[in-house]
Amino acid sequence: MKNSRLIAAYSFITFTFGVLFLRYGYLQLINHTQLLQQSINNYSSIVATQPVRGQIVDRNGVVLANNDASYVLAALPKYLKGSQKQLFESLSKYVNITTLDKKKFYATKNNSKNYDWVVIKDDLSDKEIASVTSHAYEFPELSVFARIKRNYPFDELYSHSIGYVGRISQKDKQKIKNQDYVSNDYIGKSGIEQYYESTLRGHLGKKSIKTDANGNEVGLIDNTAATDGQTLHLTIDNKLQKLAWNLLGDNNGAIVVIDPNDGGVLAFVSKPGYNPNWFIDGISLDDWGDLMNDPKKPLLNRGAQGTYPPGSTFKPFLALTALFLGVLTPSSTVYDPGYYVIPGSSHRFRDSEKVARGTVNLMDAITYSSDTYFYKLGLDLGIDRADDVMPMFGFGKKTGVDLPIEDSGLLPSREWKAKHFRDDYQKNWQAADSVVFGIGQGLNHYTPLQMAFATTIIANEGKVITPHFFKNTTDKNNVLIESYIINSHMLPIPNTYFKFIKSAMQNVVLKGTAHGISGGLQYTMAGKTGTAQVVAMNKDNRSAKFQGKQYKDHAWFTAFAPVDKPKIAIAVIVEHAGFGAASAAPIARKLFDYYLLGEYAVVAHKPNDAADTNDQLEYSDANQSNVESGE
Amino acid sequence: MNLTETKFKRLKHLINRFYNLDKTIILILLALATINIFVQYSANDKVAGRIINDIAYLGVSFGILIIVANINLNQIKNWTVPLYIISILCLIAVLVVGVRVNGAKRWLNLGIRIQPSEICKLSVPLILAYFYSYKNILVKGLDYIYGLLLILIPFALIAKQPDLGTGILVLAAGFFVLFFVGLPWRVIIFGLVILLASTPLIWHHLHDYQQHRLLTLLNPQSDPLGKGYHIIQGMIAIGSGGLYGQGYLKGTQVHLDFIPEKHTDFVITVVAEEFGYIGVCVILLLYLALIIRCLMIMRDAPDIFTRVIAGSITMSFTLYILINMGMVAGVLPVVGVPLPFISYGGTATIILMIQFGIMLAIAKRNKY
Repeated sequence: MKNSRLIAAYSFITFTFGVLFLRYGYLQLINHTQLLQQSINNYSSIVATQPVRGQIVDRNGVVLANNDASYVLAALPKYLKGSQKQLFESLSKYVNITTLDKKKFYATKNNSKNYDWVVIKDDLSDKEIASVTSHAYEFPELSVFARIKRNYPFDELYSHSIGYVGRISQKDKQKIKNQDYVSNDYIGKSGIEQYYESTLRGHLGKKSIKTDANGNEVGLIDNTAATDGQTLHLTIDNKLQKLAWNLLGDNNGAIVVIDPNDGGVLAFVSKPGYNPNWFIDGISLDDWGDLMNDPKKPLLNRGAQGTYPPGSTFKPFLALTALFLGVLTPSSTVYDPGYYVIPGSSHRFRDSEKVARGTVNLMDAITYSSDTYFYKLGLDLGIDRADDVMPMFGFGKKTGVDLPIEDSGLLPSREWKAKHFRDDYQKNWQAADSVVFGIGQGLNHYTPLQMAFATTIIANEGKVITPHFFKNTTDKNNVLIESYIINSHMLPIPNTYFKFIKSAMQNVVLKGTAHGISGGLQYTMAGKTGTAQVVAMNKDNRSAKFQGKQYKDHAWFTAFAPVDKPKIAIAVIVEHAGFGAASAAPIARKLFDYYLLGEYAVVAHKPNDAADTNDQLEYSDANQSNVESGE
Repeated sequence: MNLTETKFKRLKHLINRFYNLDKTIILILLALATINIFVQYSANDKVAGRIINDIAYLGVSFGILIIVANINLNQIKNWTVPLYIISILCLIAVLVVGVRVNGAKRWLNLGIRIQPSEICKLSVPLILAYFYSYKNILVKGLDYIYGLLLILIPFALIAKQPDLGTGILVLAAGFFVLFFVGLPWRVIIFGLVILLASTPLIWHHLHDYQQHRLLTLLNPQSDPLGKGYHIIQGMIAIGSGGLYGQGYLKGTQVHLDFIPEKHTDFVITVVAEEFGYIGVCVILLLYLALIIRCLMIMRDAPDIFTRVIAGSITMSFTLYILINMGMVAGVLPVVGVPLPFISYGGTATIILMIQFGIMLAIAKRNKY
């Protein structure tokens, strides 16, 4: 045999073994880590065990958000191959499956892993449970089981404070960048549910199971138990909240009650609300459309996001600012002929009460809410100095409350005006702007929460405490985990000025604009009425066009009690209710009576004010259009 | 007394027959058989019945090995023509009355199921070697044409089944004979060029599943749950073994059913996953030792027939290893070729034992 044949044979052998030694070496030595990981991924499946979401309770332990068992019909995605049309068709004999259910099903199925159950139908009725389970043999891929679902027993009462949970979306997942959720999990979508998500949620448990190639479980690799969420105790007083809600009656508006001693929010009402239970498993398009198009704007959180001109409730703060800066002294007087004229011009800024009060001092100007006095003060103080001091009371700033969204309102300034107006005349800050600013109208507008917060600063004589809902958290056994730490500081304004303003506000209730609510008062109370103009025009000049209720001004009332050692502070706004003294102040009185004396007012339901629910209701106030943008 | 003596003599004779055989090859085969038992125990998920079957199969195989090793080589020469004719007839029979499994007719049911294409791995090189052993002078052009015909007839019949894998092995076994009798290099190169040039034509005539296998080899990730699945899972099993392996009976890829046909074509994954690269190297080195020993036997073979047969068997054996292990490791298309001596049973094992039996018979003639 020729040598070349043998050489060729050896070459072939060398080639074969060279290839095999190198290839297996490459896979087993160089690619080992990566392929080992793939092997582990092959046989291990992680099944999430759900933590129980923490309850939300009020300061007395009344449950405001809890977890109910709900029966769901669900399927494992790995058994759902191809189209589910057939499945839905045969299922429809036993269960009522809506198009919304199907839509939700496909949405969750598309982003779920093999071991996440995908819900087909939620909240099965007893009848549906019975008929599905008795025909279970037809649907081996399906399963009926109990699941814990969030429930808000007070429906719309806390829609704007507690908010709601909903199914986690792709967007949420990207935002949180946290692996602690599975595809069809609930997550806080708004309000306190969103703000305290991590506290309420707890931690997902992970059960790692070993499966064979067909997905059958063959063993347990690791099991980390879920950590349940903490019970969140709010500073809210449920009874006070309910009373405040009822006292607003059929009116739209907001009531924010704060304990000035610790900043705890006692009641937070924004009316109308919506039922947060609708949102938990996805709201239907119809319901969503109804909420979006409702002229009463139930989705608007009037308490923390609805902004209104503060009207005369702004006066005590303006007076404080002026006193602090030395623009006036407690004894400064102004002659009040019932109107004010800027020196060198002829336009009369009329007093809303059209009374000539003669010479008025500061005490009386607050007590009787003299516009003339404050028109002049607004001009004397000037916007620049106001802008320096007034943010101390939280005007134009977020209060820092523990809600995911709040509006900072607007404390106007020269810069703001220059930026937001086109017209050359309007671009500049005019003397008239300062005059109108003096009575809390014009450009400035704040949320009821901001007004209540500012009121606590007066009540506390300069001590600023951040408002909050959080009282403390406890575990399942009611053992305290975390308490709220009060965040406070003192303003540099002398105490005597606060005392002066407080007594002026006390006079408001005793003999001033709010004296109507003083009858039988068993504690000392200080307050300030206000009117937020809806149409910027004096009442006597209004044309017939603006005569409907929708053009009636909003009624404000801010108050606190007792005057010396305040225990409660409040801001009430009743939309389109006219004067604050008539509609807003009595609400505050009743709430104080309950909170301080334990007298629970029985609220009689008035029949609807016909014009109020008019569908063509329009808001001329552009500041209110910042409706929650929804999902 | 006399009777026991005779019995004793017979036993001694039998032992001698065993002892006279090439010890290197016998030892390596015994080592591989031992590995086979351990690996099959794992690959069959410790099912006792299957292991007993496997051991019985090995026993029979070794019996055949010993018998063939002791057959006179001239006798073997006499059988080549009938064996070739029988194998061709069987192939024709397969096409007519064969058992169809998974769309391919490859088996004849004669009480036990046999695969005639496997017999051709033996009969084709034998008849060629026999044919050329009568040429005392150098083989000439026309002889190659005859030889080619002897190869192509069974190849065409096997490809028709279809069973391209075995077909190629038969083709290769025949080619190795032609190669060792001196098929000129220019013809070989010419043939390779023709083969490459006709690739599109061949591609066109491949069955869909064969085209699929080639395509998935080029990009297994293109179809990770379909055709590429076997390749990907095989590579994962091999890679996860690392240097030392996951430990005997602890391979997750193997025991959790991620590997298809783990006891036959994919058996190397069991070794790779549970014994790591070291295990793979041990097997490769045993194979290499065996091959080198066979080449030595070939070198010292007394005549053309034995030399050419020894060469063809050795090269074919090398090719089996390359195709099987290359396929599982994702460098060659998925072709159903078992791993010699490690895969579970089958006609292929019997044929393999006959081939090594012939190899031992040649070695005995060499008087090592």
